[in-house]
Amino acid sequence: MSLVAEAFVTQLAAAEPWPENAALYQQLKEEQILLSDNASSLAVQAFLQMCNLPVRVICRANAEYMSPSGKVPFIHVGNQVVSELGPIVQFVKAKGHSLSDGLDEVQKAEMKAYMELVNNMLLTAELYLQWCDDVTVEEITHPRYGSPYPWPLNRILSYQKQWEVRRKMKAIGWAGKTLEQVLEDVDQCCHALSQRLGTQPYFFNKHPTELDALVFGHLFTILTTQLITDELSEKVKNYSNLTAFCRRIEQQYFEGHDKDSSAIAARSSKRPLLR
Amino acid sequence: MAAPMELSCWEGGWGLPSLHPESLTVLAYAKFSGAPVTVNSVNNSWRTLKGDLPVLVSEDIVISQPAKILNFLRKQKYNADYDLSAKQGADTLAYIALLEEKLLPALLHTFWIEAENYRSVTKPWFASRFAFPLSLYLPGKMSREALNRILLTKGGPPLYSLTEVEGQIYRDAKECLNLLSKRLGTSQFFFGDVPTTLDAFVFGFLAPIYKVCFPKVHLQVHLKQLLNLCRFCDDILTRYFRSTVSSHSPAGQDTADANLQKLTQLVNKESNLIEKMDDNLRKSPQHPPRKLTTLKLAAGGEESSPMSRLSP
Repeated sequence: MSLVAEAFVTQLAAAEPWPENAALYQQLKEEQILLSDNASSLAVQAFLQMCNLPVRVICRANAEYMSPSGKVPFIHVGNQVVSELGPIVQFVKAKGHSLSDGLDEVQKAEMKAYMELVNNMLLTAELYLQWCDDVTVEEITHPRYGSPYPWPLNRILSYQKQWEVRRKMKAIGWAGKTLEQVLEDVDQCCHALSQRLGTQPYFFNKHPTELDALVFGHLFTILTTQLITDELSEKVKNYSNLTAFCRRIEQQYFEGHDKDSSAIAARSSKRPLLR
Repeated sequence: MAAPMELSCWEGGWGLPSLHPESLTVLAYAKFSGAPVTVNSVNNSWRTLKGDLPVLVSEDIVISQPAKILNFLRKQKYNADYDLSAKQGADTLAYIALLEEKLLPALLHTFWIEAENYRSVTKPWFASRFAFPLSLYLPGKMSREALNRILLTKGGPPLYSLTEVEGQIYRDAKECLNLLSKRLGTSQFFFGDVPTTLDAFVFGFLAPIYKVCFPKVHLQVHLKQLLNLCRFCDDILTRYFRSTVSSHSPAGQDTADANLQKLTQLVNKESNLIEKMDDNLRKSPQHPPRKLTTLKLAAGGEESSPMSRLSP
């Protein structure tokens, strides 16, 4: 968005308070949604819970196409539609709610750096695993991604998406990596996050920030999603403070909320996958 | 102890040992950790065709990406991060990710995609480093790769248009520079007084923006306002890359000034010589004063007086 458009949107955002009927759109939970999208969606849900802003989760098969930037999740608030965690955080800030106001400049720089680390390594590793690892693609991704659509549309859409993701991987240099190297990167990232978290309850001590929401979204999804092998979740389980962190946030923000069944359903049913 | 190591990377210019951010990073790390690496400026091999630089060759092992090269050096006991705590090590990874996500697209854009910069600076420089057929093909290939990378990582899927993305990537880059400046504060390096991996990466990304003279330079202008980052780059250049710095003048502006100064000095010398010749001829008794065609560039007043004296 250009600067002018962004300023305009911010002004519109600031004009109204958060409505009761705010909605978050994602793909179908049981049959369609993939690892990376689920992680992003959970991160946004966690963030909104932490800000104490009510939101309904609505599942639609064409959520990806409805989104203004092509990525899920997106929120529909009043008459505005905002997608992806970064812009949503700014939008919520324009409405007057912020989790990172209490941080000083150096801490804000650190927070942004760690968020980029998660996006750069964890999200890319998830995408790699879903779309570039042939076994996973054949057995999990293709069946799930096109499941709401009839043949041949389901195959066409999933091949198209796969081609797009592989192009991106090639551009950033991940196409040449093997699965072991990707898992190694995930391990490095988790190690860094674990070191940064240490024994604190949240990354910036007493209060959660958008970084906590993002890390929770990704790690919880990795821990509770059943893939071909358990290697990915094993890498995360190696760090006990990270698993404790996930459990803590789940208990504090998601338990007792019926509408937010994604976290609880994921934990109990291990998300039945077509296998 | 370690086998001799040879590093192949891009050449440098404008006071830098190399123009390529990744090569600069590896060079800086080698200097910080004291690794005895012989640097080989590559300009005409198949490696450049594959775009694999920088490359470290040690005995029979060939390693190509900066992160892997740094890992290898650490395993050979050349570790610049020895004194860092675990948390600082984690911070290093995070900040490197920030640099790659926010600063690298703008760097690529300034070098390879901004039309005026590419045509007048980048393409001629890179083309002049290669022999004839490669010089036509390779800069174009690198430019296309850079464009691809930016569009695929930053552009929205339905549109893939560059103009929308340009504003965003420069804004991100300026924000990233501000964040780095805040993090650096007043200390000499990012983690105290000793340079580490993070300093190598930051230097590798910042130095090309800081030093290379482009026609369209708004990122450089922004960087120059962040004085502590400029001081950081200059410090590293003078402390670790002194021999290459002394042979080039740092910025285009200074070169122009220096040239102007030299020209003025030459002109003054010429005019002094000519005046002396005049005086000598006037003083000599034997020969009538000859008409001299003076090539004076000085003020017209001086010209007229010897002419008037010469007329019989």
